[in-house]
Amino acid sequence: MKRRDFMLAAGTFAGALMLPRMSFGAEGVIDVYFSSDQNVIDFWTNVVKPKFEAANAGVTLNLVDGGDGAGVAAIGDRALAAMASGADPQADLFEGFDTRVTVDGIAKGLYVDFETAGLSNYGKINPLAFDIPTNLPYRGSQVLLAYDTTKLDPANAPKTWPDLVAWIKANPGQFIYNRPNKGGSGGNFVRRAILEANGKDPSKFAVDNYTAEAGEAMLNPAWDILMDLAPSLFDGGAYTSGNTQSIQLLGQSAVTMIPAWSDQALSAIAQGVLPETTGLVQLSDLGLPGGFTKLAVLTNGVNKDAALKLADFLLTEEIQSAVLTELGGFPGVSWEHVSPELREKFADIIPTTIPTFPGGDWEKAINDGWYRAVAPNVDPAS
Amino acid sequence: MTAIDAGQPVLAAPERRRPIGLLLVAVPVLLVIWLIIWPIISAVIQTVWVKTPEGGNSFSVETYRFFFSDGYSLSNLSITLWTTGVCAILLLVVCLPIALYLRFSDSKVAAYVQGLAIFPMFVPSIILSFAFIRVLGPNGTVDLVFNAVGLPKIRSPYLTPWGPVIGLVWDNIPLTVLILLSGLGNVSNQAIEAARDVGAGKLALLWHIILPRISNSVLVAISFAVLGIFSAFTLPYVLGPAAPEMMGPFMQRTFRELFEPQTAITQAVITFGFCIVFGLFYVRSVARNQAP
Repeated sequence: MKRRDFMLAAGTFAGALMLPRMSFGAEGVIDVYFSSDQNVIDFWTNVVKPKFEAANAGVTLNLVDGGDGAGVAAIGDRALAAMASGADPQADLFEGFDTRVTVDGIAKGLYVDFETAGLSNYGKINPLAFDIPTNLPYRGSQVLLAYDTTKLDPANAPKTWPDLVAWIKANPGQFIYNRPNKGGSGGNFVRRAILEANGKDPSKFAVDNYTAEAGEAMLNPAWDILMDLAPSLFDGGAYTSGNTQSIQLLGQSAVTMIPAWSDQALSAIAQGVLPETTGLVQLSDLGLPGGFTKLAVLTNGVNKDAALKLADFLLTEEIQSAVLTELGGFPGVSWEHVSPELREKFADIIPTTIPTFPGGDWEKAINDGWYRAVAPNVDPAS
Repeated sequence: MTAIDAGQPVLAAPERRRPIGLLLVAVPVLLVIWLIIWPIISAVIQTVWVKTPEGGNSFSVETYRFFFSDGYSLSNLSITLWTTGVCAILLLVVCLPIALYLRFSDSKVAAYVQGLAIFPMFVPSIILSFAFIRVLGPNGTVDLVFNAVGLPKIRSPYLTPWGPVIGLVWDNIPLTVLILLSGLGNVSNQAIEAARDVGAGKLALLWHIILPRISNSVLVAISFAVLGIFSAFTLPYVLGPAAPEMMGPFMQRTFRELFEPQTAITQAVITFGFCIVFGLFYVRSVARNQAP
């Protein structure tokens, strides 16, 4: 091929690739949009899709990575616009989505109300996970404590906040958490300290009740708690810069205990990043915060009924057990609806409460306050 | 990089000046104005010409006053200056011997040394960071080796200000070695042999013959390293302590997590103010060498 021909052919090919690909919501193809990370999409590709398609002949799943929350929110806005004009939204189900994000979406009936949708497995959902009826929780993740059982006997693992503080002080240099803005494991550890300083009452914090005075009154005592811990932390008050780095330090046996996301810790153990001898424990007086991942189904999707069938399928014991074993998350259903062996295996981390903590102004205040008050490691008395 | 060839005689200007030369440089100059100069000017304007609550605009240096009266911000600035200074000194100490060796050695080993010295250029800094934790971190490879030969455990530089220093020095070795090496190309063998003939020792040779000839390259190498290190992000973020932070992570956090673009831009302008000083060193040394 002459160079000129080659350039022409290459140009045409590239041009064809760049053309907007036309697609329409097809009957029997459920379009699922994800805001979650690749590991979740892999879980759907390898577990959910083959199982669901095998059980429902003629229905296939089209799994689309929406990028992030904002990416899926844009699809939601388009679906709302499509609803007004009676057009096809080309989407059926959103994974990892809060229906409140679409302005007017719930009021205009864009999302299926699961309370009245008649899902056969709806009653199995963990009561802790319920939010609003248009959000369907199907998997959870919570921060818990991961520790080295060769150095700390599981029988002596701390089960309450005062126990944990006592353990950290009795074992200086053996605990580290990451900076609260650089990953949820340290972030939720810090939030647990904030809850401890405020009567262990998550209801005191709402997305809209932050004021500078409230922030000062409610956060400063928490900074005192954390400052008090600092000299007993790894290296006299060092903080890793992310969830992964904390896990690396536990894996290198440099520390004995870290806060970690349940799914990240479980998959790290499964992949051998953390040794088999890693123990997991949740505080029983008030758990470390976490949350559930929710689904939304569009009322105007072409495949609404199939999508509801898929939503119901996700809550079956088969998929919920796989969430534990394959994804390393928490089931969205109550623990009596997963197999007894699994319940036994994960007994220590079954949450009795999953406190949540609002974002918005509180998050900003925590990110600024922690860096100024706790991170510099300056003794205020000196 | 004309700076690297600095020291060569400037070609005599042609008698008839044609606009082609100007046209050729017009595109890059316009790009620099559009993508670099203009954003700087607009950033400076944004920080001093602020919106008032009444809806108008007025001149204010409030954000700068806050920065220079806020102990936390100042400690971040001083750790950045400290890291940059220490890195610059260490880079010279490490790279000058390597460059001298590469310039004056004829052995085959030199080729391997050169390969090793250039290697860090091909390692992304995020990979370097995690490798650093594995090797120099607590219970890392170094600890294991020390333990195997019965030496005591060292205090790991990970999560201390020395973490980013070690990482940044390693990362900047290739560029510094290359610039110094090109400067050493200007030191003629004859000059060295002549000095040796009159009995100059190795140190005298370095001090009186070699260093004066490469002082310009040293300045250029240091300016380049300092400009990169001052605004470094990944290595200080992963390897450094939570506080004080270097300006790179500090700006990013202020912008993305505290949602204070005005403050973040102020920090950027201050960072730029320090960098421009080193930039001027560089420009001055290039200009001095091109002067007839």
